[in-house]
Amino acid sequence: MRQIRAIAVNTVRDAVRNKVLYILVFFSLVMIGTSALLATLSYVERERILQDVGLSAIRFFGAAIAIFMGVGLIHRELERRTIYTILSKPVTRTQFLAGKYLGLVATLWLQLAVMTLAFVCVSLAAEAPLGRGHVIAFALVAVELALVVAFATLFSSLATPFLAACYSVGLYLVGHLTRDLRAIGATSDSEAVREATIWIHRLFPDLSGLNRVIEAVHGLPIPAPEIGFALLMGVAWCVGFLLVAVVVFERRDFR
Amino acid sequence: METVVRIENLVKDFRPGFGLRKKRVLHGISFEVKRGELFGFIGPNGAGKTTTLKVLMGLIRATSGHAELLGHDVRDAEFRRHVGFAPESPYFYDFLSGREILTYYAELCDVEPGKIPEQVEKVLGQVGLAHAGDARLRTYSKGMLQRIGIAQAIVHDPSVLFLDEPMSGLDPVGRKEIRDLIVRLNTEGKTIFMNTHILSDVEQICDRVAIIVEGRIAYAGALDALDAEQKLFDVSLSALPGDFAEELDSRYGALSGRGERVTLRVDEKQMRELVQGALARGARVEEVTRHREDLETVFLRAVAGREGEGRA
Repeated sequence: MRQIRAIAVNTVRDAVRNKVLYILVFFSLVMIGTSALLATLSYVERERILQDVGLSAIRFFGAAIAIFMGVGLIHRELERRTIYTILSKPVTRTQFLAGKYLGLVATLWLQLAVMTLAFVCVSLAAEAPLGRGHVIAFALVAVELALVVAFATLFSSLATPFLAACYSVGLYLVGHLTRDLRAIGATSDSEAVREATIWIHRLFPDLSGLNRVIEAVHGLPIPAPEIGFALLMGVAWCVGFLLVAVVVFERRDFR
Repeated sequence: METVVRIENLVKDFRPGFGLRKKRVLHGISFEVKRGELFGFIGPNGAGKTTTLKVLMGLIRATSGHAELLGHDVRDAEFRRHVGFAPESPYFYDFLSGREILTYYAELCDVEPGKIPEQVEKVLGQVGLAHAGDARLRTYSKGMLQRIGIAQAIVHDPSVLFLDEPMSGLDPVGRKEIRDLIVRLNTEGKTIFMNTHILSDVEQICDRVAIIVEGRIAYAGALDALDAEQKLFDVSLSALPGDFAEELDSRYGALSGRGERVTLRVDEKQMRELVQGALARGARVEEVTRHREDLETVFLRAVAGREGEGRA
């Protein structure tokens, strides 16, 4: 456990020195601030526009940072050859991967906290309502970021950062479309299309299940079982991706 | 004496690119290192030294054969708290200071939290970096990085130390300092396995060596035993009467000198004959010394022999 904690802390230290992270967080804060300006352009539902744009910016920039940092997570250690000195210590490859993953998730949750604080400040300044739905929406964004880091970590242990980024962006987009695809497939006359879209929905993580922005912004109720299922699904996919990453990583030669 | 490193018939194949063809890098090598030894693992570039070391460190897996460290399979991570490893041209997180990186590695090695600051200071002093402990690693010179590389390998006080080209790229002063440090660590009781191609360093400090050429062990044994098979002697004579000098030259081939003093290289039997003959003829025997082949000669012969076999 001590080894995992040490690697995680060092990963956070490494990440917070990355200038690109600050640039992305800065732009996300700019977007949250701009949402207040955009809202003034409308005569109706100003608070909702403000929160819709703000929450979407947080989700978009959060995912961008997760993919950007996740795809280089393992590759950077290999490129810098720092992995040689770490794995020659009493550290298993699984502990190394777990430490790197948890460190990056902690970093992302830290930047999510900063963006959330900015969102709350802007909402309070605009007198937009904040409630339980917002707490749930932010919690699910946190789970989504952990999931994105999990598959980015898997791809990072398999491929170069460029390819890992392509795979990660692809999976992120597919993950957000599978539910819609299934809904469209259900209206098809073809049995094969219906079956295919059902299987696509089953085989890929349903990231739209973790998106509760509309409910939060419009003050709609979010049933507890749906929250529970989304959390369970998110955690299960994280564990699944990390287990595959461990299997891949355990078999790798570090030449 | 306890065996610390045991390698038996170790084979490693790599698959270059995505092709199906395999390239064999280690061809069933075997050797052992005993506790307390300062062992030199030498060979030309690309011979398989670093590959062997990476197998021992669990960084790559052997295709077949067996590698054991302190009686454990090398893939077992737990026993590595007794092992230190300094890779060639070590790279570290350059945003950390020397003190921070050693603290990090001490945590990874499960050093008791209360003892870490004391251990870090001790090791910084041992490698001569006490003055630079708070400086960021990005400001370190190559020699300082090499030293911090050794420092991270000994921060948990291991009993076995693996060093990959510890003196490469250092100036003569830096090389001497690292060499002295290695000897000191060995004197303190640590078994040291050193990968290198700098033969003079090996000759000066190692007890035993293994020479690896093209993935095969060409020699493994004590440095003293390198020329044990054929003992040669250098015999220096002076005050040679009459035509004795020419006689010796035609019979043995003088190694050096003419006229008053000559030196000849002969085997043990010839040495006895020569000394007796010279004394009988009234010549003076100035010196009889055992000729030792230097490591470079043996090494070059091993390389040439392997290359010759390869061509055949």
